[in-house]
Amino acid sequence: MYGLVPGGREWIEMAHLLKTFSITPRDFVRAGEISIAIQGILKSVGFGQDVIRRASVCAYESEMNVVMHGGKGTFFLAVEPEMIVMEVADDGPGIQDIDLAMQEGYSTASPEYREIGFGAGMGLPNIKKNADEMEITSEKGKGTRVKILIRAEEESGGAG
Amino acid sequence: MEEQVKNASWDHFVRIHEDLCNGCVLCMKVCPAKAIRVRGGHVARTEGLCIDCGECMRVCPRGAVKAITTGSRKIDRPTAVAIISPVLYTQFGEDITPGDIYEAVKGLGFMDVVEQAEVMAQYVKALELYIREKGKSRDAPRPLISPVCPVVVRLIAYRFPSLLKNVVPIITPRELSAREARKKIAEQRGVDPEEVRVYHVTPCAAKMISIKRPVLMERSYLDGAIGISTIYPEVLRELKARKEKKGEANARNRMVEWAASGGEIDNMEEGNLLAVSGMQETIRYLERIEMGLLESIDYVEFRACGEGCIGGPLTVADKYQAKYTIRKLGRRQRQGLQADVAQVEERYKSGWFFTHWEPRPIGHREQTLPLAEAIRRQEQVEKLRRALPGKECGACGSPDCATFAEDVVDERASISECVFLKRPREKGESG
Repeated sequence: MYGLVPGGREWIEMAHLLKTFSITPRDFVRAGEISIAIQGILKSVGFGQDVIRRASVCAYESEMNVVMHGGKGTFFLAVEPEMIVMEVADDGPGIQDIDLAMQEGYSTASPEYREIGFGAGMGLPNIKKNADEMEITSEKGKGTRVKILIRAEEESGGAG
Repeated sequence: MEEQVKNASWDHFVRIHEDLCNGCVLCMKVCPAKAIRVRGGHVARTEGLCIDCGECMRVCPRGAVKAITTGSRKIDRPTAVAIISPVLYTQFGEDITPGDIYEAVKGLGFMDVVEQAEVMAQYVKALELYIREKGKSRDAPRPLISPVCPVVVRLIAYRFPSLLKNVVPIITPRELSAREARKKIAEQRGVDPEEVRVYHVTPCAAKMISIKRPVLMERSYLDGAIGISTIYPEVLRELKARKEKKGEANARNRMVEWAASGGEIDNMEEGNLLAVSGMQETIRYLERIEMGLLESIDYVEFRACGEGCIGGPLTVADKYQAKYTIRKLGRRQRQGLQADVAQVEERYKSGWFFTHWEPRPIGHREQTLPLAEAIRRQEQVEKLRRALPGKECGACGSPDCATFAEDVVDERASISECVFLKRPREKGESG
Protein backbone atom coordinates (compact mmCIF):
# COMPACT_ATOMS: atom_id res chain seq x y z
CA MET A 1 0.00 0.00 0.00
CA TYR A 2 0.87 3.71 0.20
CA GLY A 3 2.49 3.69 -3.26
CA LEU A 4 5.44 5.75 -2.16
CA VAL A 5 5.73 3.93 1.11
CA PRO A 6 7.51 0.63 0.99
CA GLY A 7 6.65 -1.26 4.12
CA GLY A 8 4.94 1.62 5.88
CA ARG A 9 7.05 1.79 9.02
CA GLU A 10 10.38 2.38 7.29
CA TRP A 11 8.82 5.31 5.57
CA ILE A 12 7.69 6.73 8.84
CA GLU A 13 11.25 6.67 10.09
CA MET A 14 12.37 8.78 7.13
CA ALA A 15 9.73 11.46 7.36
CA HIS A 16 10.36 15.03 8.35
CA LEU A 17 8.08 15.43 11.31
CA LEU A 18 7.17 12.57 13.58
CA LYS A 19 5.02 12.51 16.63
CA THR A 20 3.68 9.76 18.84
CA PHE A 21 0.76 9.96 21.22
CA SER A 22 -0.69 7.32 23.45
CA ILE A 23 -4.43 6.74 23.67
CA THR A 24 -6.11 5.61 26.85
CA PRO A 25 -9.22 3.52 26.18
CA ARG A 26 -12.46 4.78 27.76
CA ASP A 27 -10.87 8.08 28.78
CA PHE A 28 -13.73 10.25 27.57
CA VAL A 29 -12.47 13.33 29.35
CA ARG A 30 -9.39 13.57 27.18
CA ALA A 31 -10.87 11.97 24.10
CA GLY A 32 -10.31 14.14 21.05
CA GLU A 33 -7.25 15.91 22.46
CA ILE A 34 -4.89 14.12 20.10
CA SER A 35 -6.89 15.10 17.04
CA ILE A 36 -6.98 18.70 18.20
CA ALA A 37 -3.19 18.63 18.72
CA ILE A 38 -2.71 17.20 15.24
CA GLN A 39 -5.04 19.77 13.76
CA GLY A 40 -2.96 22.47 15.47
CA ILE A 41 0.31 21.07 14.12
CA LEU A 42 -1.02 20.85 10.57
CA LYS A 43 -2.36 24.37 10.85
CA SER A 44 0.90 25.85 12.00
CA VAL A 45 2.70 24.03 9.20
CA GLY A 46 0.24 25.69 6.87
CA PHE A 47 -1.34 22.90 4.85
CA GLY A 48 -4.37 23.74 2.74
CA GLN A 49 -7.72 23.92 4.47
CA ASP A 50 -9.10 20.81 2.82
CA VAL A 51 -6.04 18.72 3.72
CA ILE A 52 -6.28 19.84 7.34
CA ARG A 53 -9.99 19.11 7.47
CA ARG A 54 -9.66 15.62 6.00
CA ALA A 55 -6.68 14.77 8.19
CA SER A 56 -8.47 16.05 11.31
CA VAL A 57 -11.58 14.01 10.57
CA CYS A 58 -9.48 10.86 10.08
CA ALA A 59 -7.49 11.58 13.24
CA TYR A 60 -10.64 12.16 15.26
CA GLU A 61 -12.46 9.07 14.02
CA SER A 62 -9.51 6.78 14.56
CA GLU A 63 -8.75 8.23 17.98
CA MET A 64 -12.38 7.83 19.03
CA ASN A 65 -12.48 4.28 17.71
CA VAL A 66 -9.72 3.34 20.11
CA VAL A 67 -11.25 5.28 22.99
CA MET A 68 -14.62 3.61 22.50
CA HIS A 69 -13.77 0.07 21.41
CA GLY A 70 -10.03 -0.48 21.57
CA GLY A 71 -7.37 -1.29 24.10
CA LYS A 72 -4.26 0.67 24.98
CA GLY A 73 -3.40 2.57 21.82
CA THR A 74 -0.67 4.44 20.02
CA PHE A 75 -1.07 7.20 17.48
CA PHE A 76 1.81 7.83 15.08
CA LEU A 77 1.85 10.94 12.95
CA ALA A 78 4.30 11.55 10.14
CA VAL A 79 4.25 14.72 8.10
CA GLU A 80 5.95 15.40 4.78
CA PRO A 81 5.32 18.19 2.30
CA GLU A 82 3.54 15.74 -0.01
CA MET A 83 1.60 13.70 2.50
CA ILE A 84 0.41 13.08 6.01
CA VAL A 85 0.52 9.54 7.35
CA MET A 86 -1.23 8.38 10.49
CA GLU A 87 -1.00 4.98 12.03
CA VAL A 88 -3.28 4.12 14.90
CA ALA A 89 -2.81 0.82 16.68
CA ASP A 90 -4.32 -0.70 19.80
CA ASP A 91 -4.18 -4.00 21.68
CA GLY A 92 -7.94 -4.28 22.12
CA PRO A 93 -10.41 -7.02 21.19
CA GLY A 94 -10.04 -6.47 17.43
CA ILE A 95 -12.77 -6.11 14.84
CA GLN A 96 -14.95 -9.15 14.25
CA ASP A 97 -15.94 -8.38 10.68
CA ILE A 98 -14.00 -5.60 8.99
CA ASP A 99 -16.19 -5.54 5.87
CA LEU A 100 -19.24 -5.01 8.03
CA ALA A 101 -17.51 -2.32 10.12
CA MET A 102 -16.64 -0.45 6.94
CA GLN A 103 -20.29 -0.14 5.96
CA GLU A 104 -21.79 3.26 6.47
CA GLY A 105 -24.33 3.35 9.25
CA TYR A 106 -22.99 0.25 10.92
CA SER A 107 -21.91 0.85 14.47
CA THR A 108 -21.32 -1.25 17.51
CA ALA A 109 -21.23 1.86 19.66
CA SER A 110 -24.04 2.23 22.13
CA PRO A 111 -26.19 5.34 21.63
CA GLU A 112 -24.62 7.19 24.54
CA TYR A 113 -21.17 6.75 22.96
CA ARG A 114 -22.43 8.12 19.68
CA GLU A 115 -23.61 11.25 21.43
CA ILE A 116 -20.04 12.30 22.11
CA GLY A 117 -19.17 14.97 19.60
CA PHE A 118 -22.81 15.64 18.81
CA GLY A 119 -23.59 12.52 16.90
CA ALA A 120 -20.42 12.40 14.83
CA GLY A 121 -18.34 9.29 15.02
CA MET A 122 -19.35 7.56 11.86
CA GLY A 123 -16.14 5.66 12.42
CA LEU A 124 -14.30 3.71 9.75
CA PRO A 125 -16.50 4.68 6.77
CA ASN A 126 -15.80 8.32 7.54
CA ILE A 127 -12.06 7.66 7.54
CA LYS A 128 -12.37 5.93 4.19
CA LYS A 129 -14.33 8.87 2.82
CA ASN A 130 -11.71 11.41 3.86
CA ALA A 131 -8.44 9.54 3.39
CA ASP A 132 -6.64 9.08 0.10
CA GLU A 133 -5.51 5.65 1.18
CA MET A 134 -6.50 3.50 4.11
CA GLU A 135 -5.51 0.09 5.30
CA ILE A 136 -6.96 -1.77 8.24
CA THR A 137 -5.73 -4.98 9.82
CA SER A 138 -7.24 -6.62 12.84
CA GLU A 139 -6.81 -9.83 14.70
CA LYS A 140 -9.39 -11.07 17.14
CA GLY A 141 -8.14 -10.74 20.69
CA LYS A 142 -4.93 -9.01 19.63
CA GLY A 143 -5.90 -5.61 18.36
CA THR A 144 -6.39 -3.37 15.37
CA ARG A 145 -4.08 -1.26 13.23
CA VAL A 146 -5.36 1.49 10.93
CA LYS A 147 -3.05 3.24 8.46
CA ILE A 148 -4.19 6.42 6.84
CA LEU A 149 -2.61 8.49 4.12
CA ILE A 150 -3.65 11.98 3.14
CA ARG A 151 -2.03 13.49 0.05
CA ALA A 152 -1.19 17.15 0.38
CA GLU A 153 -1.45 18.46 -3.12
CA GLU A 154 -0.69 22.13 -3.54
CA GLU A 155 -3.88 24.08 -3.39
CA SER A 156 -4.78 27.70 -3.16
CA GLY A 157 -4.86 28.91 0.42
CA GLY A 158 -7.99 31.04 0.13
CA ALA A 159 -11.34 30.39 1.76
CA GLY A 160 -13.17 27.64 0.00
CA MET B 1 -11.45 51.29 31.72
CA GLU B 2 -11.78 53.36 28.67
CA GLU B 3 -9.98 56.04 26.84
CA GLN B 4 -11.10 58.33 24.13
CA VAL B 5 -9.98 57.93 20.58
CA LYS B 6 -7.48 60.49 19.38
CA ASN B 7 -6.38 58.79 16.24
CA ALA B 8 -8.85 56.71 14.29
CA SER B 9 -6.18 55.08 12.15
CA TRP B 10 -4.96 52.80 14.92
CA ASP B 11 -4.94 49.13 14.15
CA HIS B 12 -6.20 48.16 17.58
CA PHE B 13 -8.58 49.62 20.08
CA VAL B 14 -7.49 47.64 23.08
CA ARG B 15 -4.28 49.25 24.31
CA ILE B 16 -1.70 48.37 26.92
CA HIS B 17 -0.18 51.24 28.87
CA GLU B 18 3.46 50.59 29.60
CA ASP B 19 3.68 53.04 32.49
CA LEU B 20 0.96 51.18 34.41
CA CYS B 21 2.17 47.69 33.51
CA ASN B 22 4.50 45.89 35.90
CA GLY B 23 5.20 43.01 33.55
CA CYS B 24 3.21 40.27 35.33
CA VAL B 25 2.06 37.32 33.23
CA LEU B 26 -1.72 37.47 33.67
CA CYS B 27 -2.73 39.01 30.34
CA MET B 28 -0.15 36.98 28.45
CA LYS B 29 -1.64 33.82 29.93
CA VAL B 30 -5.22 34.53 28.92
CA CYS B 31 -4.59 35.95 25.45
CA PRO B 32 -6.35 33.50 23.10
CA ALA B 33 -4.36 34.76 20.11
CA LYS B 34 -1.03 34.27 21.92
CA ALA B 35 -0.21 37.81 20.88
CA ILE B 36 1.34 38.94 24.19
CA ARG B 37 4.88 38.47 25.49
CA VAL B 38 6.66 39.94 28.50
CA ARG B 39 9.91 41.56 27.41
CA GLY B 40 12.15 43.70 29.58
CA GLY B 41 9.65 43.86 32.40
CA HIS B 42 6.74 45.03 30.25
CA VAL B 43 4.23 43.40 28.00
CA ALA B 44 4.72 43.58 24.27
CA ARG B 45 2.07 42.68 21.78
CA THR B 46 2.36 41.27 18.29
CA GLU B 47 -0.10 43.64 16.68
CA GLY B 48 -0.82 41.35 13.76
CA LEU B 49 -2.21 38.64 16.02
CA CYS B 50 -4.44 40.67 18.37
CA ILE B 51 -8.18 40.18 17.86
CA ASP B 52 -9.27 42.97 20.22
CA CYS B 53 -11.21 40.60 22.45
CA GLY B 54 -10.38 42.42 25.69
CA GLU B 55 -9.52 39.29 27.71
CA CYS B 56 -6.29 41.04 28.78
CA MET B 57 -8.26 44.00 30.01
CA ARG B 58 -10.45 41.80 32.16
CA VAL B 59 -7.57 40.24 34.08
CA CYS B 60 -5.19 43.17 34.45
CA PRO B 61 -5.01 43.99 38.18
CA ARG B 62 -3.40 47.38 37.52
CA GLY B 63 -5.81 48.79 34.97
CA ALA B 64 -3.03 49.00 32.41
CA VAL B 65 -5.18 47.70 29.60
CA LYS B 66 -7.75 50.07 28.24
CA ALA B 67 -10.31 49.84 25.50
CA ILE B 68 -10.48 52.84 23.27
CA THR B 69 -13.92 54.02 22.32
CA THR B 70 -15.11 57.21 20.74
CA GLY B 71 -15.63 58.71 24.17
CA SER B 72 -18.88 60.49 24.90
CA ARG B 73 -17.38 63.97 25.18
CA LYS B 74 -15.90 63.85 21.70
CA ILE B 75 -19.34 63.45 20.25
CA ASP B 76 -21.38 66.44 19.17
CA ARG B 77 -24.60 65.08 20.59
CA PRO B 78 -27.10 67.35 18.90
CA THR B 79 -25.93 65.94 15.55
CA ALA B 80 -25.43 62.34 16.68
CA VAL B 81 -27.64 59.27 16.86
CA ALA B 82 -27.13 56.72 19.66
CA ILE B 83 -27.99 53.06 19.04
CA ILE B 84 -28.61 51.29 22.35
CA SER B 85 -27.53 47.71 22.90
CA PRO B 86 -30.06 45.76 25.00
CA VAL B 87 -27.21 45.11 27.45
CA LEU B 88 -27.73 48.64 28.75
CA TYR B 89 -31.13 47.58 30.13
CA THR B 90 -29.48 44.95 32.28
CA GLN B 91 -27.13 47.33 34.08
CA PHE B 92 -29.41 49.12 36.54
CA GLY B 93 -31.15 46.33 38.39
CA GLU B 94 -34.66 44.95 38.23
CA ASP B 95 -36.48 48.04 39.49
CA ILE B 96 -35.47 50.28 36.64
CA THR B 97 -37.33 49.41 33.49
CA PRO B 98 -35.96 49.49 29.94
CA GLY B 99 -38.50 52.23 29.26
CA ASP B 100 -36.98 54.42 31.98
CA ILE B 101 -33.47 53.77 30.71
CA TYR B 102 -34.44 54.60 27.16
CA GLU B 103 -36.00 57.89 28.29
CA ALA B 104 -32.92 58.68 30.36
CA VAL B 105 -30.58 58.22 27.39
CA LYS B 106 -32.88 60.42 25.36
CA GLY B 107 -32.38 63.06 28.01
CA LEU B 108 -28.64 63.14 27.36
CA GLY B 109 -28.92 65.41 24.34
CA PHE B 110 -28.54 63.12 21.35
CA MET B 111 -30.31 64.06 18.14
CA ASP B 112 -32.01 60.67 18.26
CA VAL B 113 -31.83 57.49 20.32
CA VAL B 114 -32.65 54.19 18.64
CA GLU B 115 -33.10 50.86 20.33
CA GLN B 116 -31.25 48.06 18.64
CA ALA B 117 -34.17 45.91 19.75
CA GLU B 118 -36.33 47.51 17.06
CA VAL B 119 -34.71 45.49 14.25
CA MET B 120 -33.90 42.39 16.27
CA ALA B 121 -37.19 40.64 15.74
CA GLN B 122 -36.78 41.16 12.01
CA TYR B 123 -33.19 39.98 12.16
CA VAL B 124 -34.24 36.78 13.92
CA LYS B 125 -36.98 36.10 11.37
CA ALA B 126 -34.55 36.66 8.48
CA LEU B 127 -32.09 34.33 10.17
CA GLU B 128 -34.78 31.67 10.37
CA LEU B 129 -35.49 32.05 6.67
CA TYR B 130 -31.79 31.73 5.89
CA ILE B 131 -31.30 28.67 8.07
CA ARG B 132 -34.33 27.01 6.49
CA GLU B 133 -33.10 27.83 2.98
CA LYS B 134 -29.62 26.46 3.67
CA GLY B 135 -31.03 23.42 5.42
CA LYS B 136 -32.46 22.30 2.10
CA SER B 137 -29.17 22.66 0.26
CA ARG B 138 -26.74 19.73 0.33
CA ASP B 139 -23.68 21.88 -0.32
CA ALA B 140 -24.34 24.47 2.35
CA PRO B 141 -21.73 24.57 5.13
CA ARG B 142 -22.84 23.15 8.47
CA PRO B 143 -23.33 24.40 11.07
CA LEU B 144 -24.00 28.03 10.23
CA ILE B 145 -22.41 30.54 12.58
CA SER B 146 -23.85 33.75 14.02
CA PRO B 147 -22.33 36.95 12.58
CA VAL B 148 -23.13 38.94 15.75
CA CYS B 149 -20.03 38.68 17.97
CA PRO B 150 -17.19 40.72 16.43
CA VAL B 151 -14.54 38.86 18.41
CA VAL B 152 -15.72 35.49 17.15
CA VAL B 153 -15.79 36.78 13.59
CA ARG B 154 -12.19 38.06 13.89
CA LEU B 155 -11.11 34.86 15.57
CA ILE B 156 -12.52 32.91 12.63
CA ALA B 157 -10.83 35.19 10.10
CA TYR B 158 -7.48 34.67 11.87
CA ARG B 159 -7.47 31.13 13.10
CA PHE B 160 -10.35 29.32 11.40
CA PRO B 161 -10.52 30.89 7.93
CA SER B 162 -12.13 27.77 6.47
CA LEU B 163 -15.19 28.59 8.60
CA LEU B 164 -15.72 32.08 7.17
CA LYS B 165 -18.14 30.47 4.74
CA ASN B 166 -20.22 29.23 7.69
CA VAL B 167 -20.81 32.76 8.99
CA VAL B 168 -24.30 33.91 8.03
CA PRO B 169 -24.08 36.90 5.63
CA ILE B 170 -26.95 38.73 7.32
CA ILE B 171 -26.13 42.20 8.62
CA THR B 172 -26.06 42.31 12.44
CA PRO B 173 -28.84 44.10 14.33
CA ARG B 174 -26.53 46.92 15.43
CA GLU B 175 -25.47 47.60 11.85
CA LEU B 176 -29.02 47.30 10.49
CA SER B 177 -30.15 49.77 13.16
CA ALA B 178 -27.37 52.17 12.22
CA ARG B 179 -28.10 51.93 8.51
CA GLU B 180 -31.81 52.54 8.96
CA ALA B 181 -31.33 55.35 11.49
CA ARG B 182 -28.91 57.08 9.15
CA LYS B 183 -31.39 56.81 6.28
CA LYS B 184 -34.32 58.01 8.36
CA ILE B 185 -32.53 61.03 9.83
CA ALA B 186 -31.10 62.03 6.47
CA GLU B 187 -34.59 61.96 4.97
CA GLN B 188 -36.17 63.82 7.86
CA ARG B 189 -33.58 66.58 7.85
CA GLY B 190 -32.82 66.66 4.16
CA VAL B 191 -29.13 65.97 4.66
CA ASP B 192 -26.67 63.56 3.11
CA PRO B 193 -26.72 60.21 5.00
CA GLU B 194 -22.92 60.46 5.16
CA GLU B 195 -23.24 63.51 7.39
CA VAL B 196 -25.26 61.75 10.06
CA ARG B 197 -23.11 60.44 12.92
CA VAL B 198 -24.20 57.15 14.44
CA TYR B 199 -22.72 55.62 17.61
CA HIS B 200 -23.27 52.31 19.34
CA VAL B 201 -23.74 52.29 23.11
CA THR B 202 -21.98 49.03 23.75
CA PRO B 203 -20.60 46.54 26.31
CA CYS B 204 -18.01 45.36 23.80
CA ALA B 205 -14.31 46.22 23.58
CA ALA B 206 -14.12 44.88 20.03
CA LYS B 207 -16.88 47.13 18.71
CA MET B 208 -14.43 49.82 17.65
CA ILE B 209 -12.32 47.48 15.55
CA SER B 210 -15.45 45.98 14.03
CA ILE B 211 -16.46 49.49 13.01
CA LYS B 212 -13.08 50.69 11.80
CA ARG B 213 -11.93 47.44 10.22
CA PRO B 214 -14.95 45.25 9.65
CA VAL B 215 -14.55 41.65 8.48
CA LEU B 216 -18.06 40.96 7.21
CA MET B 217 -18.76 44.25 5.46
CA GLU B 218 -16.83 46.64 3.30
CA ARG B 219 -17.75 49.54 5.56
CA SER B 220 -19.57 49.84 8.84
CA TYR B 221 -22.73 51.93 9.11
CA LEU B 222 -21.55 53.06 12.54
CA ASP B 223 -19.11 55.90 13.17
CA GLY B 224 -17.97 54.85 16.59
CA ALA B 225 -18.80 53.25 19.90
CA ILE B 226 -19.55 54.57 23.37
CA GLY B 227 -18.77 52.17 26.19
CA ILE B 228 -21.63 51.46 28.58
CA SER B 229 -19.17 52.05 31.41
CA THR B 230 -18.45 55.54 30.01
CA ILE B 231 -22.03 56.67 29.70
CA TYR B 232 -23.25 54.87 32.83
CA PRO B 233 -22.76 57.72 35.37
CA GLU B 234 -24.66 60.13 33.14
CA VAL B 235 -27.53 57.71 32.63
CA LEU B 236 -27.67 57.11 36.35
CA ARG B 237 -27.81 60.84 37.07
CA GLU B 238 -30.56 61.28 34.49
CA LEU B 239 -32.51 58.34 35.94
CA LYS B 240 -32.37 59.93 39.38
CA ALA B 241 -33.48 63.29 38.02
CA ARG B 242 -36.47 61.62 36.36
CA LYS B 243 -37.48 59.60 39.38
CA GLU B 244 -41.12 60.59 39.23
CA LYS B 245 -41.73 59.74 35.58
CA LYS B 246 -41.97 56.01 35.26
CA GLY B 247 -41.24 55.07 31.66
CA GLU B 248 -44.62 54.01 30.30
CA ALA B 249 -43.10 51.96 27.50
CA ASN B 250 -42.06 48.90 29.50
CA ALA B 251 -44.65 46.66 27.92
CA ARG B 252 -42.74 46.82 24.67
CA ASN B 253 -40.53 43.95 23.76
CA ARG B 254 -37.06 45.23 24.46
CA MET B 255 -35.22 42.00 23.71
CA VAL B 256 -33.41 42.18 27.03
CA GLU B 257 -32.79 38.44 26.93
CA TRP B 258 -30.65 39.00 23.83
CA ALA B 259 -27.95 40.40 26.14
CA ALA B 260 -27.18 36.97 27.58
CA SER B 261 -25.88 33.84 25.92
CA GLY B 262 -28.74 31.98 24.22
CA GLY B 263 -30.75 35.16 23.69
CA GLU B 264 -30.35 35.06 19.95
CA ILE B 265 -31.49 31.46 19.45
CA ASP B 266 -34.16 31.56 22.17
CA ASN B 267 -36.29 33.64 19.84
CA MET B 268 -36.11 31.13 17.02
CA GLU B 269 -38.81 28.56 16.62
CA GLU B 270 -37.21 25.60 14.90
CA GLY B 271 -33.92 23.96 14.08
CA ASN B 272 -31.00 22.41 15.92
CA LEU B 273 -29.66 25.50 17.61
CA LEU B 274 -26.68 25.75 19.92
CA ALA B 275 -25.40 28.61 22.07
CA VAL B 276 -21.77 28.67 23.19
CA SER B 277 -20.15 31.44 25.22
CA GLY B 278 -16.70 32.15 26.63
CA MET B 279 -13.43 32.44 24.79
CA GLN B 280 -11.96 29.00 25.52
CA GLU B 281 -15.26 27.28 24.87
CA THR B 282 -15.68 29.13 21.60
CA ILE B 283 -12.23 28.05 20.42
CA ARG B 284 -12.97 24.46 21.42
CA TYR B 285 -16.18 24.42 19.42
CA LEU B 286 -14.63 26.10 16.38
CA GLU B 287 -11.99 23.39 16.41
CA ARG B 288 -14.70 20.75 16.50
CA ILE B 289 -16.60 22.37 13.67
CA GLU B 290 -13.46 22.53 11.59
CA MET B 291 -13.07 18.80 12.14
CA GLY B 292 -16.44 18.25 10.57
CA LEU B 293 -18.15 17.47 13.85
CA LEU B 294 -21.40 19.19 14.81
CA GLU B 295 -22.81 18.71 11.35
CA SER B 296 -26.12 17.78 12.92
CA ILE B 297 -26.36 21.35 14.24
CA ASP B 298 -27.98 24.03 12.06
CA TYR B 299 -26.77 27.17 13.77
CA VAL B 300 -24.37 28.16 16.53
CA GLU B 301 -24.66 31.38 18.46
CA PHE B 302 -21.12 32.11 19.63
CA ARG B 303 -20.30 34.82 22.14
CA ALA B 304 -16.66 35.31 23.07
CA CYS B 305 -17.57 36.73 26.48
CA GLY B 306 -18.70 34.27 29.14
CA GLU B 307 -22.54 34.36 29.56
CA GLY B 308 -22.78 36.49 26.42
CA CYS B 309 -22.68 40.26 25.93
CA ILE B 310 -23.55 40.93 29.58
CA GLY B 311 -20.02 39.64 30.21
CA GLY B 312 -18.55 42.33 27.97
CA PRO B 313 -15.53 44.24 29.29
CA LEU B 314 -17.30 47.62 29.04
CA THR B 315 -20.18 46.70 31.33
CA VAL B 316 -20.69 47.95 34.86
CA ALA B 317 -22.97 45.33 36.43
CA ASP B 318 -21.58 41.90 37.17
CA LYS B 319 -22.71 39.41 34.54
CA TYR B 320 -24.68 37.23 36.93
CA GLN B 321 -26.38 40.23 38.41
CA ALA B 322 -27.26 41.26 34.85
CA LYS B 323 -28.59 37.77 34.19
CA TYR B 324 -30.76 38.03 37.26
CA THR B 325 -32.10 41.36 36.03
CA ILE B 326 -32.90 39.86 32.63
CA ARG B 327 -34.87 37.12 34.31
CA LYS B 328 -36.84 39.56 36.37
CA LEU B 329 -37.52 41.95 33.51
CA GLY B 330 -38.32 39.14 31.11
CA ARG B 331 -40.96 37.74 33.46
CA ARG B 332 -42.75 41.05 33.36
CA GLN B 333 -42.82 41.53 29.64
CA ARG B 334 -42.62 38.14 28.05
CA GLN B 335 -44.39 38.14 24.75
CA GLY B 336 -43.89 36.85 21.23
CA LEU B 337 -41.67 38.52 18.70
CA GLN B 338 -43.28 41.50 17.05
CA ALA B 339 -42.09 41.07 13.50
CA ASP B 340 -44.18 41.65 10.41
CA VAL B 341 -43.47 38.34 8.71
CA ALA B 342 -44.69 39.44 5.28
CA GLN B 343 -42.44 42.47 5.39
CA VAL B 344 -39.46 40.41 6.52
CA GLU B 345 -40.01 37.97 3.65
CA GLU B 346 -40.19 40.77 1.13
CA ARG B 347 -37.07 42.43 2.51
CA TYR B 348 -35.30 39.08 2.64
CA LYS B 349 -35.95 38.51 -1.06
CA SER B 350 -34.84 42.02 -1.99
CA GLY B 351 -31.49 41.62 -0.20
CA TRP B 352 -32.33 44.20 2.50
CA PHE B 353 -30.76 42.04 5.22
CA PHE B 354 -27.64 40.91 3.45
CA THR B 355 -24.07 42.07 3.40
CA HIS B 356 -22.76 41.64 -0.13
CA TRP B 357 -19.18 41.32 0.92
CA GLU B 358 -16.90 38.32 0.70
CA PRO B 359 -15.09 38.07 4.05
CA ARG B 360 -11.36 37.42 3.79
CA PRO B 361 -9.02 35.50 6.03
CA ILE B 362 -6.52 37.56 7.99
CA GLY B 363 -3.11 36.06 7.23
CA HIS B 364 -0.55 34.29 9.36
CA ARG B 365 3.21 34.26 9.33
CA GLU B 366 3.51 30.48 9.02
CA GLN B 367 1.41 30.31 5.92
CA THR B 368 4.01 32.27 3.97
CA LEU B 369 6.72 29.60 4.45
CA PRO B 370 7.03 26.88 1.83
CA LEU B 371 5.64 23.59 3.17
CA ALA B 372 8.98 21.78 3.42
CA GLU B 373 10.46 24.64 5.40
CA ALA B 374 7.37 24.95 7.58
CA ILE B 375 7.58 21.24 8.41
CA ARG B 376 11.25 21.57 9.34
CA ARG B 377 10.37 24.52 11.54
CA GLN B 378 7.56 22.57 13.17
CA GLU B 379 9.87 19.63 13.75
CA GLN B 380 12.34 21.88 15.55
CA VAL B 381 9.49 23.34 17.59
CA GLU B 382 8.30 19.87 18.61
CA LYS B 383 11.81 18.77 19.55
CA LEU B 384 12.43 21.83 21.65
CA ARG B 385 9.03 21.49 23.26
CA ARG B 386 9.91 17.99 24.43
CA ALA B 387 13.10 19.36 25.99
CA LEU B 388 11.25 22.07 27.90
CA PRO B 389 9.99 21.36 31.43
CA GLY B 390 6.30 21.90 30.70
CA LYS B 391 5.82 23.98 33.84
CA GLU B 392 3.91 26.59 31.83
CA CYS B 393 5.16 29.27 34.21
CA GLY B 394 5.53 32.07 31.69
CA ALA B 395 8.72 33.33 33.38
CA CYS B 396 10.50 33.23 30.02
CA GLY B 397 8.13 35.88 28.76
CA SER B 398 6.17 33.58 26.45
CA PRO B 399 2.70 32.37 27.44
CA ASP B 400 3.47 28.64 27.61
CA CYS B 401 6.22 26.16 26.81
CA ALA B 402 4.88 25.37 23.34
CA THR B 403 4.77 29.02 22.34
CA PHE B 404 8.22 29.57 23.87
CA ALA B 405 9.53 26.76 21.66
CA GLU B 406 8.08 28.55 18.63
CA ASP B 407 9.57 31.86 19.72
CA VAL B 408 13.02 30.31 20.12
CA VAL B 409 12.86 28.59 16.73
CA ASP B 410 11.69 31.84 15.13
CA GLU B 411 14.53 33.67 16.92
CA ARG B 412 12.24 35.93 18.88
CA ALA B 413 13.44 34.54 22.19
CA SER B 414 16.57 32.95 23.55
CA ILE B 415 16.55 29.46 25.04
CA SER B 416 18.44 30.90 28.03
CA GLU B 417 15.22 32.65 29.10
CA CYS B 418 13.87 29.36 30.45
CA VAL B 419 14.49 29.47 34.18
CA PHE B 420 14.28 25.70 34.53
CA LEU B 421 16.71 24.82 31.78
CA LYS B 422 19.11 27.50 32.88
CA ARG B 423 19.40 26.52 36.51
CA PRO B 424 22.52 24.45 37.16
CA ARG B 425 21.99 21.22 39.04
CA GLU B 426 22.32 21.55 42.74
CA LYS B 427 24.28 19.20 44.91
CA GLY B 428 22.46 16.08 45.87
CA GLU B 429 20.43 15.91 42.68
CA SER B 430 21.17 12.89 40.61
CA GLY B 431 23.42 13.57 37.65
